[in-house]
Amino acid sequence: MFDWSVITQNAHLFAWGLVVTLEYTVITCVLGLIIGLLIALVQLSPIKALRVVGRLFVEFFRNVPLLVWLLWSYYALPIFAGINISKQAAGILALSLYGGAYYAEILRAGIQSLDHGQADAAKALGMRSWQAMRRIILPQAFRQMIPPLAGQTIIQMKNTTLLSVLTVPDLLYQASYVSSFTYRPMEVYTVVGIIFLVILIPSNYLARRLEMNSQ
Amino acid sequence: MTRPPNAAAPLVEVSQVRKSYGSHEVLKGIDLTVYPGEVVALLGSSGSGKTTLLRCVNLLENPSSGRIAIDGSPIFDRAADGHDNARISGRDVAAMRSRVGMVFQQFNLFPHMNVLANVMEGPRTVLGEDDATNRARALDLLAKVGMSDFADRMPGRLSGGQKQRVSIARALNMRPSLMLFDEPTSALDPELVGEVLNTMITLAREGMTMLVVTHELGFALEVATRVVFLDQGAICAQGTPQEVLLHPTNERVRTFVNRFHATAELMRPLLQT
Repeated sequence: MFDWSVITQNAHLFAWGLVVTLEYTVITCVLGLIIGLLIALVQLSPIKALRVVGRLFVEFFRNVPLLVWLLWSYYALPIFAGINISKQAAGILALSLYGGAYYAEILRAGIQSLDHGQADAAKALGMRSWQAMRRIILPQAFRQMIPPLAGQTIIQMKNTTLLSVLTVPDLLYQASYVSSFTYRPMEVYTVVGIIFLVILIPSNYLARRLEMNSQ
Repeated sequence: MTRPPNAAAPLVEVSQVRKSYGSHEVLKGIDLTVYPGEVVALLGSSGSGKTTLLRCVNLLENPSSGRIAIDGSPIFDRAADGHDNARISGRDVAAMRSRVGMVFQQFNLFPHMNVLANVMEGPRTVLGEDDATNRARALDLLAKVGMSDFADRMPGRLSGGQKQRVSIARALNMRPSLMLFDEPTSALDPELVGEVLNTMITLAREGMTMLVVTHELGFALEVATRVVFLDQGAICAQGTPQEVLLHPTNERVRTFVNRFHATAELMRPLLQT
């Protein structure tokens, strides 16, 4: 019933697709974390206007379907902004901002859940708020946030599959390409699913280990 | 009002400080002056505003109105209508705090750093001091509070009394000219109270200026040069511990002292040493 030769014969396409997927995962996670941290700090700012901006950012991305946002970034954004961006840039920008909004919520919650006494102690020593953030608050908050951050990162990796609609040659795009000329979607998409499971199940396990070690 | 032991300039000047949370006024126009070398005990039942007053001194809490000066420098000055009479930057406030040590009821040690790193953190981050000098002084301070053997421990593995002694060393490592204590023994098991009080007594005898919110009447009696008693956000009595606590004229103080009398007696033998 299964004909695995379509996979072995096109292994290079899958491999290349996997590399692209991993590339986009790493880039959008790093950018997403940076954006998330900035937005989280903006949301915790004493200035109300900034907090409102941060809130709007998060609410926007939490309520727009990612696929819609991706397509809009590629097709509509260049027209609105009067710029030409490549599908790669559009994909990275859209996914990083989207992931950033979720990272921001995790980081904000983590910072806010920290005992106020820690900030008090840092301030009482004479630290400025950015010093307290860097030396006292964030190192502790990050520890608590490892599980949700890892979870979001895994979601981010799965979300990169949506880039295939922009014809970014990720794993899913390559799979649909292989499927289009082999007419073997069953084998092809089974393998895509297995590849994600093989990467993400150990990642989840590792994240849990990391969490336990940091306690 | 007791006069200073020596006629130096005041270290803390709090005048007409008010603080409200919504419609609830916690501090109702407090005037308090602390001179160098004084050990001032702030007493009062819970909810009397003593902790809020202490936190206003280093501006962890901003008063609603009033004036505060530390070591002659105005650090807060807000009129009753909310208008700020002085523009004081975050940098100025941080600089003031670096000269005022604070010890908290819940210790607030940094749980991600070991004991030595906790003690070194202030000078390292705030003053940018080099590690060699900092470490040497930190180790001296840990010896002073009897925690030399625990320099490599993480705070999570210390008893409450040990944590509090480390937190005193952490504050002292900034070489403050004033120490604020916010109920430093209230979160401790009774058998651990003594070790912290002894550390504080040593500090007081060395001439450190201290403002101490406490329930330990024994400590106030033995060590404080002045006792300030708060009731419902106002100072209702102050003077030497003997005057205020042993011969209370104020009804509120009398009730308070009677309630704590048994505890105070228990503490006496310990403090005599």
